[in-house]
Amino acid sequence: MANSTSDNTKRKPLQVLLVEDNAGDVRLLREMFSTETADDFELTHFLRMSDAVVHLAKGGVDIALLDLGLPDAHGLETLRRARAVAPDVPVIVLTGLDDEALAAEAMKEGAQDYLIKGQIENRALPRALRHAIERHRMQGEANQIRTLQLRLKDEFLSHVSHELRSPLTAIYQFVTILLDGLAGEVQPEQAEYLRITLRNVRQLESMIADLLEVTRIQEGKLNIEPQAASLRNTIMETVSMFEGTAAAKGITIRANIPAGLPLAYVDPSRARQVLINLISNAIKFTPKGGEIKAQMRIFEEDPSFLAVEIADTGCGIKPEASKLIFERLFQANEPSEEGRKGLGLGLYISNELVVRQGGKIWVTSEPQKGSNFFFTVPIFSLASLIGPILTNEVKPGYGIAVLVVEMESQDGSLSPDVRIEMSSVARTLLQRCLLPDLDVVLPKMDSGDAQELFFVVARANKQGAEVMSKRIREQFRRCEQLQRAGLTFMVSSSFLPPISRSATEPVEEFAGHVAATIQEHINMMVEARSVPT
Amino acid sequence: MSNKTILIVDDDPDVRLGLNIRLKANHYNVVFAPDGMASIAEARKHSPDLIILDLGLPAGDGFSVMERLKANDSLALIPVIVLSARDPSANRERALKAGAKAFLQKPVDNAKLLSMIRKVLGEKDLTPRLVHDLGEL
Repeated sequence: MANSTSDNTKRKPLQVLLVEDNAGDVRLLREMFSTETADDFELTHFLRMSDAVVHLAKGGVDIALLDLGLPDAHGLETLRRARAVAPDVPVIVLTGLDDEALAAEAMKEGAQDYLIKGQIENRALPRALRHAIERHRMQGEANQIRTLQLRLKDEFLSHVSHELRSPLTAIYQFVTILLDGLAGEVQPEQAEYLRITLRNVRQLESMIADLLEVTRIQEGKLNIEPQAASLRNTIMETVSMFEGTAAAKGITIRANIPAGLPLAYVDPSRARQVLINLISNAIKFTPKGGEIKAQMRIFEEDPSFLAVEIADTGCGIKPEASKLIFERLFQANEPSEEGRKGLGLGLYISNELVVRQGGKIWVTSEPQKGSNFFFTVPIFSLASLIGPILTNEVKPGYGIAVLVVEMESQDGSLSPDVRIEMSSVARTLLQRCLLPDLDVVLPKMDSGDAQELFFVVARANKQGAEVMSKRIREQFRRCEQLQRAGLTFMVSSSFLPPISRSATEPVEEFAGHVAATIQEHINMMVEARSVPT
Repeated sequence: MSNKTILIVDDDPDVRLGLNIRLKANHYNVVFAPDGMASIAEARKHSPDLIILDLGLPAGDGFSVMERLKANDSLALIPVIVLSARDPSANRERALKAGAKAFLQKPVDNAKLLSMIRKVLGEKDLTPRLVHDLGEL
């Protein structure tokens, strides 16, 4: 688009777009262009932004001169609209004398330059235009190169990480073959050394996994699927996973989590990843005889969150490092730490995982006494999920229908791989059957070994609910992918006793009531499923 | 116990040997192919009960092997487990769509591999662990 040929003898005139509603200013600028540089510039003028946007979208504009106070666009909004349709066109902002602050803001948002009306010199204008175009072109090139470099680096990292896995596979295979005595009896001392090798294989494996995770973060490909989940179970399981390792080092580890805390809205496997990282760090930095405690409670500062705490009695973290440790590639320079291995990516990854799920992570610590790591996760709230469909006014006779879709494997089991893929196919199909203003598909609430349950909350009348069930059934029957995977489906719908909202009741409270009733209903359904037949 | 036959398709001879020892110790018959082309011939010859398939292969990658298996009536029903070092987020779905029963990433835990094999073969997972499980860290 931007024309950058520098053929001096026969230069194409630059296409200048002027958007300005003040007739006097327009006249002045036109005069400047019509003097000595008439052959170099071709001016197109519009009074309104709406017309200018159409013109910009057509392409062919080399530079735009924008007034920031137009009849149909004001302030930075004007600039944003221009950049939205034509990000490749450099923009010079025209401002009044008292508006330099606004002009500075405009520069931050990508304007190339600003000119103060009434202070534009004849000679300076063409130069300002050419400079702006040139600067814009160079910036664009620099950005392109940087993006390309980053992409190459990420691709390289990803490639290397995968290549490393192949030899690691062979090492793992043969070490375990020796350890399991498949190649003859192993002496105790030899077994000990093989176990050390195996431990290091695991470490290398987790470093490679971290490296890949970081490239995923950089590429924005981190996959997080939040659902209503009990974090209590996740914490207890993770803690017990580490009991052996901790005991071997003479450290006690325990989870102290009251029952009855609300469900979290998290991706359990991602929460586990954060916990594994924090606990393995705690074990690494806690000396013999130390203690590690995992706790969870409602977050005091914001009761719509749960706060998880991992406390250790380890070497602690210096105050100046307590923010830095969550940054990429940070490693405390503590030479006293023996056997330190790692890329220093764990806390960086944990931070990303927590932040992307809506929470935050931090540490408080006293050197030589221990560290307390905290992270928060949002509490699952059915009310806030269904709130939007309850705020709309709906016709009389409409109530709340809960539709349950059961996905079951014909041979009685769903492998995790199939489960993940087919669930996402099923969800997409469900979304297709719904009206966005009236119906909500709830996140994953529960699943057994052989089946997966989906819940849809719909604002409908009885007839509408039936039509929807039928539509869902048909969609599922027609989906080849699901049929091929050998899955069967059942759709059932139930109508909740009408819940009416009094005129004075706030929507949030009403949503809370409805949510409680739905939750009860879902619990009943889930309980009924989990009874072995 | 089991006398089922498993075809291992992998271009890395070390990985083939390692899997051979591990699977034999668990009473499976094992046959091999080092590339995509040979895998079809070996599958025809031995009619294996299961194929463990790498993705990056010479002479026809894992995906094209699955395609050719599918296109062949006598081979189409042999279950396939993909065992690859490649990124699951980019390849799992594709492999399952191509007809694989499961996608496992290398290096795979012995216990995990064996239990997946049993599952796919429809055997009871008794898990008499002849494997070393230090617990994943």
